[in-house]
Amino acid sequence: MYDVDYIRPQDLHEALGFLNVNGDVTKILAGGTDIMVDMRSGVLQTHYLLDVSRLDDLRKIELNDGQLSIGAAVKITELLESDIIAAASPALKAAAEKFASKQIRNVATIGGNVAHCSPCGDTIPPLLIHEAQAVVVNSQGQHNVTIEEMASGPYHCSLHSNELITHFVLEPKPQEVEFADFQKIGRRQELAIARMSMAAMASKEDDNSISFLRFALGSCTPTPHRFYEIEDFLMGKVPTENVLWEAGKILAEKMLDITGRRPSAVYKEPAIRGLFMRMMSPLIQ
Amino acid sequence: MKSNKIPIRFTINGEKKELDIPPGISALELIRDILELKGTKEGCGIGECGACTIVVDGRAINACLMIAAQLDGREILTVEGLGQTGDLHPIQEAFAEQHAVQCGYCTPGLLMSTHALLQENSKPDRKEIVKAISGNLCRCTGYHSIIAAIEDAAK
Repeated sequence: MYDVDYIRPQDLHEALGFLNVNGDVTKILAGGTDIMVDMRSGVLQTHYLLDVSRLDDLRKIELNDGQLSIGAAVKITELLESDIIAAASPALKAAAEKFASKQIRNVATIGGNVAHCSPCGDTIPPLLIHEAQAVVVNSQGQHNVTIEEMASGPYHCSLHSNELITHFVLEPKPQEVEFADFQKIGRRQELAIARMSMAAMASKEDDNSISFLRFALGSCTPTPHRFYEIEDFLMGKVPTENVLWEAGKILAEKMLDITGRRPSAVYKEPAIRGLFMRMMSPLIQ
Repeated sequence: MKSNKIPIRFTINGEKKELDIPPGISALELIRDILELKGTKEGCGIGECGACTIVVDGRAINACLMIAAQLDGREILTVEGLGQTGDLHPIQEAFAEQHAVQCGYCTPGLLMSTHALLQENSKPDRKEIVKAISGNLCRCTGYHSIIAAIEDAAK
């Protein structure tokens, strides 16, 4: 039993009105799979839980005018079952397949995963390669926040207390892109928090050189982000095993530049190179 | 301690309920402590073992991770609603016949995960079965007998 109050607003307007008055002592509740764990451990103490899980405005998946829109309260299972997601953001579907467990996928939401700002959030690398932005609203209006800007540090969300995310807007996968994937290493096959994760999508010219590449790394750095150095290195090159191996080496070096050479580097350096090869090998002729 | 109550209505195991509940309790606490249905177990309390798996609106979920107030308007199935002594559900019979129950602690959760799976997909292959029950831990059986039971139940 937790010392919290539970509020379920009937619409977005009511939710924002509540946050205006009580935002400082309110935690936004959608699936609850992170909140319940954090309340149990004592990490989270709050006065109100504001349940936005049933607000229609937050639950749509739509592809309109070349923009993919995913509601913040869309469940991971819904991402898995959506034909639009399968076509327009297959790396996100791949991440959803590896997300936690079935029981958690059935209630956890993409908005919750992003707003929790865990470095290990599985939806984040795929969102990064789609240049996703969160549409953040308060009762005065709305503005966009990139996924990179969302976390000001591990587990620190930059949203203000009177704001919430309504949905994410993504660039859909370009038509010519045939390769898109998400890979992760965890302590087990399911129900595993990612120790290392990555997402990519790419296309090749007729001569097999890479003509389009987006790559993002998760879990290895305090906040997940795109790795433009890898994208720049591989653009225009034919992806042979040697070329990819070289790219993986650069990736490991860049990661260690950010994190410093900590004890875990002994594990992470070969692991990141291996995972990169595993993910990118389908691009080899 | 917040002393107000949240009114909720739901259907559980076919029975309609209307209750006023404390805002800060989990679905697991509601089921075990208020409704006194003891079949659903607490293993880890943090959604990592699946012992508390129940079916809500056809989907398997961890009851320990859901705020009870979110059950408002939902249709809930716990193991008590699956079958009774002397009138076992085919899934329960399959588990018994295939020796998929040793200490039995994981069993209610596994039965509910299985039920949800077979509602969604009546003929799952082995890979689909394994994926569906990957959120349920068993320390006794080594899982082979459980998978055999589910394959049996799906026939």
